[in-house]
Amino acid sequence: MTQPVRANEPTENTRKADYLTFFIAGEEYGIPILRAREILELQALTRVPAAPACVRGVLNLRGAVVPVVDLAIQFGQPACTAGKLTCVVVVEVALAGELAVMGLIVDSVHQTIELSESEIEATPAFGTIARCEFLTGMGRVGAKFVLLLDLDSALSAEQLYRGVPAAGAVAGGQAEKGGGLAADV
Amino acid sequence: MEIDHALLMQTFSAEAEEQLAAMEQGLCGIEQRPDDGELLASVFRAAHTFKGNAGTVGLHALAAHADAIEDALDAMRTGRLAVDARLVSALLAAVDALRAELAATGDEGAGDEGASKAHDAAFAAVQRLVKPTGERLPVAQPAESAGGLAARASASAPAHGNTLRIDAAKLDRMLSLSGELSIARGRLRTHLLGAGPGALEQALESHVEADRLYRELQDEIMRARLVPLGPIFRQYQRVVRDLALEHGKRAELMIEGEDVEIDTTVAEHVRGPIMHMLRNALDHGIESPERRNAVGKDAVGRITLVARRDASHIAIELRDDGAGFSRSKIAARAGLALEDAHALEDAELLERVFEPGFSTAELRSALSGRGVGMDVVRRNIEALRGTVAITSEEGVGSTVVLRLPLTLAIIDGFFVDVAGDTYVIPLEAVTECQELLPETVRHADGSGVVSFRGQPLPYLRLRELFGLEHAAPGREHIAVVKIGERQAGIAVDALLGQDQAVIKPLGPLFRDVPAVAGSTIGGDGRVALILDVAALLDLAEARAQQRSPLSPARSSRDATRPRERADREHA
Repeated sequence: MTQPVRANEPTENTRKADYLTFFIAGEEYGIPILRAREILELQALTRVPAAPACVRGVLNLRGAVVPVVDLAIQFGQPACTAGKLTCVVVVEVALAGELAVMGLIVDSVHQTIELSESEIEATPAFGTIARCEFLTGMGRVGAKFVLLLDLDSALSAEQLYRGVPAAGAVAGGQAEKGGGLAADV
Repeated sequence: MEIDHALLMQTFSAEAEEQLAAMEQGLCGIEQRPDDGELLASVFRAAHTFKGNAGTVGLHALAAHADAIEDALDAMRTGRLAVDARLVSALLAAVDALRAELAATGDEGAGDEGASKAHDAAFAAVQRLVKPTGERLPVAQPAESAGGLAARASASAPAHGNTLRIDAAKLDRMLSLSGELSIARGRLRTHLLGAGPGALEQALESHVEADRLYRELQDEIMRARLVPLGPIFRQYQRVVRDLALEHGKRAELMIEGEDVEIDTTVAEHVRGPIMHMLRNALDHGIESPERRNAVGKDAVGRITLVARRDASHIAIELRDDGAGFSRSKIAARAGLALEDAHALEDAELLERVFEPGFSTAELRSALSGRGVGMDVVRRNIEALRGTVAITSEEGVGSTVVLRLPLTLAIIDGFFVDVAGDTYVIPLEAVTECQELLPETVRHADGSGVVSFRGQPLPYLRLRELFGLEHAAPGREHIAVVKIGERQAGIAVDALLGQDQAVIKPLGPLFRDVPAVAGSTIGGDGRVALILDVAALLDLAEARAQQRSPLSPARSSRDATRPRERADREHA
C-alpha cells in the first residue's frame, strides 16, 4: 500500500480520515471508523415479523435492542451465511433525525485504512453492486478500490423498507394499529 | 451560619403550592356547602400558613396578598360575608394570582408590569368585597377563559418537574434490602468458588434467596413510584366549577377512590385525557339548569370521577348524569342513514365517537368540539397500553371507562417458544394452556378450531402468521388468551413459563410492526418480542376475511430461506 506524502499544512486534498473496511458478498466496503462502535461475534438474532428481508432481526446489546441489517440482501445478493469470520459491526446512524445504533452483518472485518480526500474518487454511475446512492465514494487502496458506504442513506428506514419484504402473512397486510409502547419510559 | 437560600425557597414553594391547591379545593367545596365550618377553617389555615411562610422567606408582597384572602375568609367565618359564586370566583382569582406570583419569584427576571397589575386587581377585588363600607362593586373577573384553564391544568402538572416525594421509610426499606442483597451476593460468590460437595446446591439456594430479595427491592421501587389519584382528581373540581360557570351550567364533581395509586408516569399521561373527557361531559353531557329542571333532574349536574383497582389495572371512570350520547346525532355526524344506525348496536354506534374529528355538538364551543376528539383520548390511552370504553343511555348520562396498566416499565409475561424464538404474551391475557392435538382441524394458513371446555375455540399459529420458516415440532401447545369478550388460542411450540418482562422499545425502525407491543430480554440474553394480543386477534380476523389461496408474501419466501439456514447453523 502506498502512503501519500504528508504535506505540511492540511488542505482539502490532504485531510485524512480513518476507515474500517469489511467484506460483504465478496466486495470490500469501508465506513468512517468514528461511526463504528464495536464489533461483535454473530449471535442468534430474534426475528421481527413484517420487517424488511434485509433486517435479519434484533440483538441484545447490553440491554439495548439493536436491529441487525444484512446489506448483502439489500444489494440483491444472497444472504450472508454464518461462518467463522462472520461478525456484526455496530454503527451509529442518523435515523429520521435521531441517532440510532444498528448492526451490520459482514462476512469478515478486514482492516483499518487511512484515506486522504485526494484518494477518494467519485462513485461511477453503474458497475457497483451497491446502488451508487448508498456510497459516498471509492477509496483507492493500491490498485484496488474500497467502496465507502453512506450509512445514513443505506440504513434509512425508507431504503430498508423499499427492499424485499420478508416472508409471512403479516408482511403484506397492513397492521390495524401500530402497537407501539410508550417509548419514553 | 449561612442559610442556603435556594434550598429554603425550594421547600417554601413546594409547600406553598400544596397550600394553594388546598385553598382552591376548599373554596370549590365551600361554594357547594356554604355551611361547612370545618372546610372553611381548613382553607383559612392554609391561607394563614401560606402568609406566615411567605413572610419568613421575605416575600412580603405575597404575604400581604395572602392577608387579603385571609381577611375575606375571616369575614366569611364570622358571617359578615355571605358565600356566593361571585365571592368564590374572586377568591379563586386571587389564589390564581398568588400562584402566578409564586411562579414569578422562581424566575430571575422580574414579572412584567401588566401581569402584576392584573394580580393587584385580583386582590383589590377581594378587598372591596370584604370592606363593610361602600357598596359592593361588581367583580368583573369571571374566572378565566377556557384556554387559560387548559393551559393551567396542563401547566400545573410539570410544575413539579420530574421530582417525586418519597416516604423516608420506603427509602430506608430499599436501602436495607440492597444491603441484604449484597450479603446474599457475597454468599453466592463464596459458594460458586467453593468446589466442595454440595456447593452447587448451596449456590442455587443463595441464588434463590438473592432472587427473592431482588424481587422485593423491585416491588419496593415500583411502589415508591406510585402516587395516589386523589390530588390529581381534586384539581379538576376547580376546572369543573369554572367551566360550568362559564357555560351557564351548574355542575359538581364527585370523587371516589382517592386512595387508588398509579405509577407517576401513567398519572402524568392521563391528565390530558381526563381533562378532555371532563370538557366533553360539561359541554355535550350536562344540560342547562332549565332543561334539567324540565326533565326532572337536579339543576346541578353531577360528574363523578371514580378510580378502581383490579388485578393488574387501574380503571378510571367518568360518569355524568347528563343527556348521554344521542343515537340520532351520532348517526348524523358519522354520516349514517337513520335506518342504518338503527340496525347498529349501541356499542357499535358509540365506536363512531372515536373516529377522528368526531363531534356531536351542534355549536362548536370554546370548550370542546374543536376537531380534537375522543380519537385523541383513545390514542393517548392506547399508547399507555390502556383501553377506553363508552357506555351511554340517552337522557340518563354516559360513562367513559379508562383501563390503564399499573406500571409502564415491567409486565408479568408468559414466555413461549415458536421456531426457536421466544415471544412474551402479557400474563393478564392468558387464561390457560392446553396441548394442541395433531388431529385438530387445520387450515393452510395455520389457523383452526379446537375444542376448549366443550366449546369451539379458534386458534392462530404464530409460525404461519409471522412467516417463521422452521419445521413444527410433533407436539404443539395452545395458550388460551382472552381480551375483553374475545377468546382465542395461540399455537406455539413450547410453553416456557411465566416471568417478569422489562419492556424495551423496539426503536424507530420497527414503529409499524403489527401485533408486537415491544420487546424484552429473555433469560438466555436474547431479545424476546412482546405480543400485542388484541392486535394479533385483529390481524387474524382481518386475514380470515380476505383469505386467498396464494398470499402475495409467499413468493418472497425463497429469499429468506438461506437466512434461516444461517441462523440454524449458527445456533
